[in-house]
Amino acid sequence: MKTSFSALLLLLGPTLAAFATEPLPEGTAFFEQKIRPLLVEHCYECHSTDAKKLKGHLFLDSKAGWQVGGDSGGPVIILGKPEESLLIKSVRHEDPDTAMPPKKSRLPDGAIADLVTWIRMGAPDPREGTSKVEPKRADKSWWSLQPLETAFSHDSIDGFIEEQLAQKGLRLNPPAEPQALIRRMTYDLTGLPPTQDELDGFLAAYKTDPGRAVETLVDRLLASPRYGEHWGRHWLDVVRFGESTGFERNIAINDLWPFRDYVIRSFNADKPFNQFITEHLAGDVLGKDNPEIEVASAFLVAGPYDDVVNQDVVAQKNIRAATLDDVITATASSFLGLTVNCARCHNHKFDPISTEDYYRLRAAFEGVTHGSSTVATREERDAFTNATKPLLSRKEQLMVEKNALSQAIEAQAKLVAESHHYTRPKIDPDYTEERFAPVQARFVKFVMLGNTTDPKNAATGGRLTEFEVWSAEAEPRNVALSRSGARAEGARSASAEDFPEAYGPQLCIDGKLGEQWFIGSPAELTITLAKTETIGRIGFSNSKGKGLVDKNKGATPCEYTVQTSLDGSTWQTVATSFEREPWSPAHGIARALQEATTAEQARKRDGLAVELARVQKQLDAVPKLHEVWIGKRTLVPEATFVHKGGDPTKPLAQVRAASLDVLDRTTQPYALPVDAPEGERRLALGRWITSNDNPLSPRVLVNRVWHYHFGTGLVDTPSDFGFLGSRPTHPALLDFLAQRLIHHGWQLKPLHREILLSRVYLQSAEFRPEAARADKDARLLWRFPPRRLSAEEVRDTLLSVAGKMQCEPMGGPGFRLYKFTRNNVCTYFPLDQHGPETFRRAVYHQNARASVVDVLTDFDLPDTAFGAPKRANTTSPLQALTLFNHSFTLNMAKALAERLQESDPVSRAYALVFQRVPSVQERAAAERLVASFGTEALCRALLNANELLFVE
Amino acid sequence: MNYNFSDGHFSAKRCQAAGLYLHTPPIAVPLPMLCTDFSRRRFFGTMSAGFTGVALSHLFANAARAEARLEPHFAPRAKQVLQIFCPGAVSHMDLWDYKPVLEQYDGTPLPGAEGEVTFQGKNGPLMRSPWPFVPAGQSGKMLSSMLPHMARHVDDMAFIHSMVSRTNTHGPGCVNMNTCFTRDGFPSAGSWVSHALGSMNQNLPTYVSIQDIRGEPPNGKANWNNGFLPAQHQAIAIAAQQQLRNLVRPDSISPDADAATREFLHAINTAHATGHPGNDELKARIAAYELAAKMQLTAPEVHDISREPQHVRDLYGTEDANTLKAAYARNCLLTRRLLEQGVRYVSLYCASRASNVDGLLNWDAHKTLKADYERHCPIFDQPTAALLTDLKQRGMLEDVLVIWCSEFGRMPTRQDGTTGRDHNPDAFTTWMMGAGIKGGVSHGATDDFGRRSVQDVTTVYDFYATVLHLLGLNHEKLTYYHNGANRRLTDVHGHVLQSVLA
Repeated sequence: MKTSFSALLLLLGPTLAAFATEPLPEGTAFFEQKIRPLLVEHCYECHSTDAKKLKGHLFLDSKAGWQVGGDSGGPVIILGKPEESLLIKSVRHEDPDTAMPPKKSRLPDGAIADLVTWIRMGAPDPREGTSKVEPKRADKSWWSLQPLETAFSHDSIDGFIEEQLAQKGLRLNPPAEPQALIRRMTYDLTGLPPTQDELDGFLAAYKTDPGRAVETLVDRLLASPRYGEHWGRHWLDVVRFGESTGFERNIAINDLWPFRDYVIRSFNADKPFNQFITEHLAGDVLGKDNPEIEVASAFLVAGPYDDVVNQDVVAQKNIRAATLDDVITATASSFLGLTVNCARCHNHKFDPISTEDYYRLRAAFEGVTHGSSTVATREERDAFTNATKPLLSRKEQLMVEKNALSQAIEAQAKLVAESHHYTRPKIDPDYTEERFAPVQARFVKFVMLGNTTDPKNAATGGRLTEFEVWSAEAEPRNVALSRSGARAEGARSASAEDFPEAYGPQLCIDGKLGEQWFIGSPAELTITLAKTETIGRIGFSNSKGKGLVDKNKGATPCEYTVQTSLDGSTWQTVATSFEREPWSPAHGIARALQEATTAEQARKRDGLAVELARVQKQLDAVPKLHEVWIGKRTLVPEATFVHKGGDPTKPLAQVRAASLDVLDRTTQPYALPVDAPEGERRLALGRWITSNDNPLSPRVLVNRVWHYHFGTGLVDTPSDFGFLGSRPTHPALLDFLAQRLIHHGWQLKPLHREILLSRVYLQSAEFRPEAARADKDARLLWRFPPRRLSAEEVRDTLLSVAGKMQCEPMGGPGFRLYKFTRNNVCTYFPLDQHGPETFRRAVYHQNARASVVDVLTDFDLPDTAFGAPKRANTTSPLQALTLFNHSFTLNMAKALAERLQESDPVSRAYALVFQRVPSVQERAAAERLVASFGTEALCRALLNANELLFVE
Repeated sequence: MNYNFSDGHFSAKRCQAAGLYLHTPPIAVPLPMLCTDFSRRRFFGTMSAGFTGVALSHLFANAARAEARLEPHFAPRAKQVLQIFCPGAVSHMDLWDYKPVLEQYDGTPLPGAEGEVTFQGKNGPLMRSPWPFVPAGQSGKMLSSMLPHMARHVDDMAFIHSMVSRTNTHGPGCVNMNTCFTRDGFPSAGSWVSHALGSMNQNLPTYVSIQDIRGEPPNGKANWNNGFLPAQHQAIAIAAQQQLRNLVRPDSISPDADAATREFLHAINTAHATGHPGNDELKARIAAYELAAKMQLTAPEVHDISREPQHVRDLYGTEDANTLKAAYARNCLLTRRLLEQGVRYVSLYCASRASNVDGLLNWDAHKTLKADYERHCPIFDQPTAALLTDLKQRGMLEDVLVIWCSEFGRMPTRQDGTTGRDHNPDAFTTWMMGAGIKGGVSHGATDDFGRRSVQDVTTVYDFYATVLHLLGLNHEKLTYYHNGANRRLTDVHGHVLQSVLA
């Protein structure tokens, strides 16, 4: 007793001392006598600033702590209302999930009664001034959720920046040199270096009128089609655009590129971004029969998803939930800068986002499935129907004739087959043997004419596990075994490029059941024996074990001849299947067809075949309607429920497609009926996201624009404007820019123009140590921040300076820097050689998920499993190895060298690569290198140079 | 760095004679210092200045001080990790987890779960293992007779028999076993370790992934991806059959031309960096080229297993008549050589993806378990055991933690109408061995049939909490900010498995 009291005394320290000397107000006295000791003893271990491990982000060692609350959201005490207070519910163990103290028995009734009394009193709590509690999470008063500011103390970008610089005693750098400026702006707006002509023209214009020259430059670059390619690429990062399905099979998606072209087209046309976003979510609804707009909704299905067939019902639900989670995550992070995905299993731990909000978004996407759909104009669809309809009806008519004829012939064949007496049993897939008079042979050929599932055609597509050739002697040997020196040859219908042994005919003579040869065309197996042998029988099987049911084992050859040869050129048939009982009646009919067909029928049959082929050719000649990976819209949406703990087998309350509560203080809410058509749900969401009263969408968008111009956003977590994201360095400027965006009708080009013509942007990148001491990373922008080129810019630059870049035609299917192979699942092998068909802008590379390609991956091309609002910027020896040694660099060095065939290659090289003249020393060194090792060596070095790879 | 433009003689020999050949930094520089990440980074839950503010020369000069950033949370037991991964979902009941009850009830329905539908469909009756189990080692641990070589190591191994997975599909399962998430896009454990501890060597990658000659495992590169961690933390693919990409000087370029080009590049980059102060990236790229040159010298040597004596090669079976086994054996031997040279984390794969035939290229024995495993076990057994023996003999298990994984287990029943087993995410076995591990123990257990983990159920979070613990890292403190969350390898779960710790 004494020990615990002194421990308590130690804990309470100064407060208790104060209690001893001064009378306290009644409420505070009650707190000190009853409540504080209780809290210290039972709660502080987990809910105080001294807690070894804070639980639930809830503090009970200060008034602010219980006022703010923890992960459950909101205050845990409602003044005067103990019954509604989470604290009381918890200590009463009303809900096992929140029962406190956890895993222990309830507090004594007296203690609970004291807490109730205290809350009825209004929870007097003197623990204020000394509180160490800071808010650990955001509520709806969080800065990014507030309406946009409308009144500003400056009317230009420069004013906001200079104000904050002045506060730190800093100032802008002087204007950049024109040479640096055109390089900076050309990369910034187009992702390419300026050409020599562009540079010369600009320098001349700059001399006469710098201001006008710069404006003309900006306008020219914004009007260039290269702008959309570069800024479109930025956007593709944000919306996790990738052209393979990801997960286990990771199949290349070859019809998603129209979305990439839509993005580029939209940037070039300066499509208002509110419209652009809405089209992403509901382009198929807004632009029905208008492919240019319909393809926008490919955004929904541009992410990875698991398409492996799964019979387990619970697994199916989990996979569906994960598939929609990708759409929800991409939507909320791309357009709203909110991590709504963190509220899938529980309320968001840091932002005021409830699980209901998460499932409201799910309700909007409940009808979305992955896949391709026809995307065409009404006219195209009509034209297609008009062109194909008569041909289809002619085809149908011919097919009726053909079928009638076939039936007649087959009826005759059936009679022939039934009258035939078969002397031998049907084949057995487990093991079939053919015996014949002993014959000398070096070669044995198994010619397969039909298999158990296809009576009419050759046995292509069937399979064999073993094929044996037995010697004719007292103790017969299987002389076909590979370990006896025999070889097997035959075509395969399946292959695995990285594993040449798979599915091969050699598996038939390995003496082991299990692995199968996948029979290709021609359906012939040729065995070369180690030496000439006298043989008397063969045996074959397609089975992994006698009597085993294996529905995936494939068809077994059942119509065949066995031939032998001594020299491999003259063959004799030693056995056939023709006197065996047919595998099925259909097989018997197939065998008798030729015999049963009359000459007249044969003539008619051939005539019909010719006519059918002619009609089919005409049908094939009608251009197909485009299929695009915009997803399928055929699913009837299921009802949406909140999933307890994110578990789809534990539905809680049903939710409707509706606006998110997180923004209910600023935006006009909506809620659709539970049975609203799925397209309407997406359209309503798009309109709500882009409404002018939604403060997040414009803030997030202008911040992205700033991020790409200056390398870092005003908020440097561009897809997270929540509690864990960064605060804006210039909050007022962010809102100013957002208002300018709305003023410009959500168009980006006028905004780019304002930014590029600001003094902040036009200043030099010069480094000043004294400024760096105050603002190391230049977040306040006392200089223009230099940067390394992005992955695409590196590749595009090498192509450009080598004179190999082909900018036209734009768009269309992408090129690949990998070899794509598919054997159930897909594998992507980086290419050692990049051919001329790849000399296009890197935005047209078909970026597959979980693939590695040279140069692009090395320079931080993101793997778009998630959106990549900000690229990594790494330097590594492997990057150096690739750029120095890959054949791409060498080929570009060679091409560049070919452009130097002049009297002064060094000057020309410096002009093409660095757009300047070399210094005397540089020239001397370069000329020595050229003299010893040629111009290609010089070019290889220049293409690896930092001066080329950095822009300031 | 005293190169001077007026002093250029681009003969490699002359450069070398003048001490100018390959400007090697005067002080050994660990690789990660040059694999710099200039984006915002959070380390151990706090913002770190990274390298941006520190001049690279300071990093050279103060290598020891800069290392302080990489200090573990507490004293590590292990320095390196060898992960052996058998993709395709290895059947625990047929290799590691002895279930005598299956012999007794072979052919009868699994009580209470007759005809249960799992990944590929309906299940038939219980099926005994096709091979007898035999006691192994001092501990008498029962092990499948299909693993005679591995049996010699059981007294050093700590089995975890009660693993569970969150998915029944190979691709997400493999990714889950490597990243603790079923979705692509999260960093693999090796990437986390690279991020946390960096490199132990100068001339080789920090994290290497060795693919089987039969191809990549399910979900391929997502298994060793850096996810949202900076790119230098992804595994570099090397295998006996496949050298590091772009390592070798192109044939068309002579050694002299190569050296002179490099020298010229160094000179212009140095001059450029001098003219552009305040940008450490420029210096880092210069240093990266120097390290690349060193890597070009070291990596081929390490890769050349013909340097090993014959008896060592025979121990592994690198020239075995079974070409798949020989190929895997060469990868095992390469693994030892990489670990010896201080590669921090090696992921070694035995088998590959799901092909057109179940169980052909990996351990996915849906239809014909016996035939499939009689193909896979001999490939795996001797070379893996040889690798463990070799590591032990060289004293390397003092530093190397060995972890063996598969993505999930298999059903105790036969798949309806077959002699194989369907996927089972509710039970599987993994094991650990080497640095910091108590040998000869078994943690957790499945039920009598092997259908479900029932005792000390262990998650992949627990598994990696333990791995990180052995490396001196608190799994709750190793975090990285990404898209709105401070992410951890172990998500928001995980407990260290005390019972396997030495």
